[in-house]
Amino acid sequence: MGPPLLKAEEYDFKGLQKALKLRPEGIIDEIKKSGLKGRGGAGFPTGVKWELALAETGEKKYIICNADEGEPGTFKDRYLLEERPLKVLEGILIAARAIGANEGFIYIRGEYTEPIKIFKKTIEEAEKQGVLGDNIFGSDFNFKLTLVRGGGAYVCGDETSLINSIEGKRGISRIKPPYPIQAGLFDRPTVVNNVESLAAAAEIINQGADYYTGLGTKNSRGTKLICLSGDIEKPGVYEVEFGSTTLRDILYELGGGPLKDDSFKFIIPGGLSTAALTIEELDCQYSYEGIEAAGSSLGSGAIIAIGQKHQLLEILQRVGRFYMDETCGTCFPCREGNRHIDYIFKKHHNGKFYQEDVDILADIGKAISGAARCGLGQTSLSLARSLFYKFPEELIIGGGQR
Amino acid sequence: MIKLIIDNQEISVEPGTTILEAARAAKVKIPTLCYEEELSVFGGCRLCIVEVDNKDSLMPACATEAEDGMVIRTHTPKVRDIRQTIFEMIIASHDISCELNCLTCSRASSCELREVAEDIGVTRMRLDPIIRGHSKDFSSYAIAREPNKCITCDRCIRKCQEIQGIGIFANAGRGPETIVTTFEDRGIGNVECTNCGQCIISCPTGALHEVYHYDKVWEALYDESKHVIVQTAPSVRVAIAESFGAEPGTVATGQLVAGLRRLGFDRVFDTNFTADLTIMEEATEVVKRITENQDLPVFTSCSPGWIKFIEHFYPEYLGHLSTAKSPQQMFGAIAKSYYAEESGIPREDIVSVSIMPCTAKKFEAQRPEMGDDVDYVLTTREAAMMFKSAGLNLCEQDESDYDELLGFSSGAADIFGNTGGVMEAALRTAYHIITGEELEDIEINAVRGLEGIKEASIKITDDLTVNVAVANGLANAHRVMEMLKEGKEYHFIEFMACPGGCIGGGGQPLPTGNTTRQEVREKRQKALYQIDHTKKIRRSHDNPMIKKLYADYLGEPGSHKAHDLLHTKYTARGIK
Repeated sequence: MGPPLLKAEEYDFKGLQKALKLRPEGIIDEIKKSGLKGRGGAGFPTGVKWELALAETGEKKYIICNADEGEPGTFKDRYLLEERPLKVLEGILIAARAIGANEGFIYIRGEYTEPIKIFKKTIEEAEKQGVLGDNIFGSDFNFKLTLVRGGGAYVCGDETSLINSIEGKRGISRIKPPYPIQAGLFDRPTVVNNVESLAAAAEIINQGADYYTGLGTKNSRGTKLICLSGDIEKPGVYEVEFGSTTLRDILYELGGGPLKDDSFKFIIPGGLSTAALTIEELDCQYSYEGIEAAGSSLGSGAIIAIGQKHQLLEILQRVGRFYMDETCGTCFPCREGNRHIDYIFKKHHNGKFYQEDVDILADIGKAISGAARCGLGQTSLSLARSLFYKFPEELIIGGGQR
Repeated sequence: MIKLIIDNQEISVEPGTTILEAARAAKVKIPTLCYEEELSVFGGCRLCIVEVDNKDSLMPACATEAEDGMVIRTHTPKVRDIRQTIFEMIIASHDISCELNCLTCSRASSCELREVAEDIGVTRMRLDPIIRGHSKDFSSYAIAREPNKCITCDRCIRKCQEIQGIGIFANAGRGPETIVTTFEDRGIGNVECTNCGQCIISCPTGALHEVYHYDKVWEALYDESKHVIVQTAPSVRVAIAESFGAEPGTVATGQLVAGLRRLGFDRVFDTNFTADLTIMEEATEVVKRITENQDLPVFTSCSPGWIKFIEHFYPEYLGHLSTAKSPQQMFGAIAKSYYAEESGIPREDIVSVSIMPCTAKKFEAQRPEMGDDVDYVLTTREAAMMFKSAGLNLCEQDESDYDELLGFSSGAADIFGNTGGVMEAALRTAYHIITGEELEDIEINAVRGLEGIKEASIKITDDLTVNVAVANGLANAHRVMEMLKEGKEYHFIEFMACPGGCIGGGGQPLPTGNTTRQEVREKRQKALYQIDHTKKIRRSHDNPMIKKLYADYLGEPGSHKAHDLLHTKYTARGIK
C-alpha cells in the first residue's frame, strides 16, 4: 500500500483530473462498469446510486461521506482516513462531480479523534491548494466540504439516521420512501457513500474500470479492505482481492492463526450483525457470494475470531447489551425486542437457557428481523441466533432436543 | 385509479393511498397503535406490517403507498405471529402489575391496547414485566402524566406539534430508555402547555389524563352543609351520550340535567346562560372598540387554551383580547354574587362545579384573578364516570329542565361550542347594538364549518363592513397571528384552541369504533346548530333572564359592576 499520503501538494489527484474531463454520465458509466458495491455493509451498487441521484432534478444536491464506522470489529475506514485522507477526499469530489453536488459533508464518528484531526487538516490544506473551493483545477466545478463529528451512536451509520444527525435531529432512522436519493439532507437529493467505497471509486476512475473488473469475481469485483480482530495473532487491516482466497487462509495465513495455546471456536465474518461460522465452515471463498453460500454475510469486512477461552454466554451478553444500548428506540420491535433479549441473556442458568426462553428469543428474532424499521434491528439478532443454532448443547438446557 | 388485491379482494383506490387506507376501503382492519389519521405517519409500532407479493420484507401498511397490481395479504400466519410478539413486548413494558392494574386505569373502558389485543387475537403473554420506575408528572393543574404507561407511540408529540403548533413534548433518552417528556423534564405545568388536552385525546393508553376533580365533587355532594350547584357547557350535551354507547351528536340535554339532579346537585344550571351574558359584554366591547378604532382586531377570550397560548407566544397582543371572562367564569362570578344574594345562601356555603368539554378550564378556574368562583371543573368524561359509578345510564334518564334563573339560554349560546359559534352569536347581538335592528340572515354560514381558518365580511351599515376571521386548532391560531404580523387587517377574530372548537375539546369522550375524529366533530357540530335552529329565542340580547339580570343587578352591559364581576386581565408569560 505504500507510505501514508497526507500532503495535498504531494498528491496529484489523477482520478479527479480524469473525472473533470468526463461528463457526469461518463464517470457513472465507469463506476457502473466496475461493478463496485457499497463497502459499508449493505452492498448496494455505487454506480446505480449515483445514476439515480444524477437523474434527480433540483438546484441543490448533497454528497455525504459516511465515516461513522460503528460496526464492531470494523476499522478499515479509520485506516483510510488516517493514512489515505486525500484519496478519500478525491472520491468525495468525484462522486460530487458525478451527481452534480456542490456541497458535501463527511460524518466521522465522535470517538475517531485522530482521523478527525487529520481530516480537518486535509480539508484546510485542500482549500488552500484549490482542490476544494471554486473552479477546482481550473474547471467549472465548485465544491464545499464540511466535517461533522458524530455523537457516538451506532444507528447513525444508517444513512437516514446520519442525515437526521447532521440536521441536528435525533439520530433515528427515517421512513423510506422517500429515499435519501430523492429527499435526503434538508430534503434535497443526497448520496451517502462509505469511506472505502469512495476511495475505491477514486482508484477506479484513475486506473479504469477494466483494470478493476480484472480483479475479483463476477459478483464481487475488485478488492476489499478487511479488518482482522479478536483472538488472532496478527490483527489489522488487510487488502484482499475478492475470490483469491478463503476465509480459512485469511485467518491462518494473513492473520497468523489463533493465539498461543488457543484455537478458534468460531468466527464472525462480517461484523457483529452477521451470523457466526464454525471452524468447519471456513473453507469458503472470500467474496459476497462465497460467504453467503456459507450461511453468513461479508458485511463490512470485519472478521472477528473468537477463541476457546471465551464463554458463549459472555459473547451473547455483550452482543445483547450492545444492541440494547444502540437501538434508536423508535420502532417497537427493535426497541422492546433488544431490551428483552438483553434481559433474557442475563437470565441464564450456569450459562445455559431453558428451551422456553430460546423459543421466546426465536419469536422476538422473527419480529425484529421481519418488522424493524431499519437495518440495525433487522440484523441485530443474526449473530446470537446463529450461536444458538450452531452450539445448542452449550447453550440450551436439554441441548435443544425436543 | 389504481387496482390492487387485498386478501383476495380486488379494490380500486386513488394513487397516493396507503395500504392501510386501501385496506380500510376494502373493509379489512389492520391493527395500529402509532397511526392516527390527521397526524404524520410515524411507522413505529410496526403492528400494521403486511405481506406484499414480490417484496422480500414485510411492509408497514401505514407508510407504504399502494401500487397498481399489488397483491397484499394482511393476516398471514407470519404477520399474525409477529404482531403477537410485538404486542407481548408492548405489554411487558407497560406497567401492568397487581398494584397498578387495568381496572383503576383512566382508560379502563377506552384502552386502545385492549382493543388492539382483541384485533390481534392475543393468546400468549410470556415475558416478564419490565419495571421502568418513572415518576408521575402532576405539575399541571389540567393534565397528569403517568410515563410508566406510555408506549412511546409519539402520538401526543405529533398532536401537540402538528395540530396545535406548540410541541411541549419530545423524545429524550436513548434506545429502550427513550421516553416522551417535556423540555428539561420540567413537567407539563412548567412549560408552555396550553392545557388544551388534545394529547389526552390522542393517547392510546392511560399515560395522559386530566387532573381529576370528581373525588372532590363527590365529597361536596355528600356534605350536607354545602349547597352544590353545577353548570354544563354547550358542547357537553351533544357528546356525553357517547360515553353510554350513543352515536356522536346525540342530544342529551334533558337527560344530563336529570342525571345531575340524581347525583345530588342542589341546582342544575347552564353555562349557556352566561354564554349569553358573555355575548352581551363582549359584543358591547367589540362595538365600542370598532367604532373607536381601539386595539383592533378584537380577539375572543372564551377558550382558555387559546388564552394561555397567546400569553406565552404573543404576549405583545394581549391588549387585543376582549376583557370579557369566559362563560364558565362569568357563571362562577354570578353564582357567588347575584345567585347567593337572591337565594340567601352564604357564598362560602356554595360549591360551584362546572362540566366542561375542556381540560384547560381546570387551569382557568384556578387562575388567581378568578378567585374561588368555580371550585371544581369536571370534564365530560369525568361526568360520565360519575354517572356510571352512581348506577345511572344517562341514555335511560327522563328529560328534565334546567333550574330557573341561571338555566335559560338563547340559541346563540348553544353554538358557542362550535368553531365560529362565538363569532356568529356576537355578530347577531353586535348588529343589534349598532343598528337597533335585527340581523335578517341569522345563520351566518360563512363562519360555520370545520375549516381551520375562515374569513368573512359582514355588512352592518352602509358605512361599516366588519371583517372577521375564525381559527380553530392552535396551529391555525398561530397562522392567523402570523398573518396579522404581516399586516393583515380584521376587526374581530374568534380563536378556539381545539380542532372544531369545544365540540372537539380535550375533555370530550374519546372516539370509539371506526368513526373518524372528523366525523365525530361533524356530528356534534350539526347537533349544536340543530338545537339553535329549533329554539324560539336565538339572540343573546333577547334572553329574558339576561334582561332581568341586568335590570335587577348589573345595570347595563359594560357597567362598573359588570366590569368588576365579568371582566378580567391577562398575564404576559412569554417563553421560558
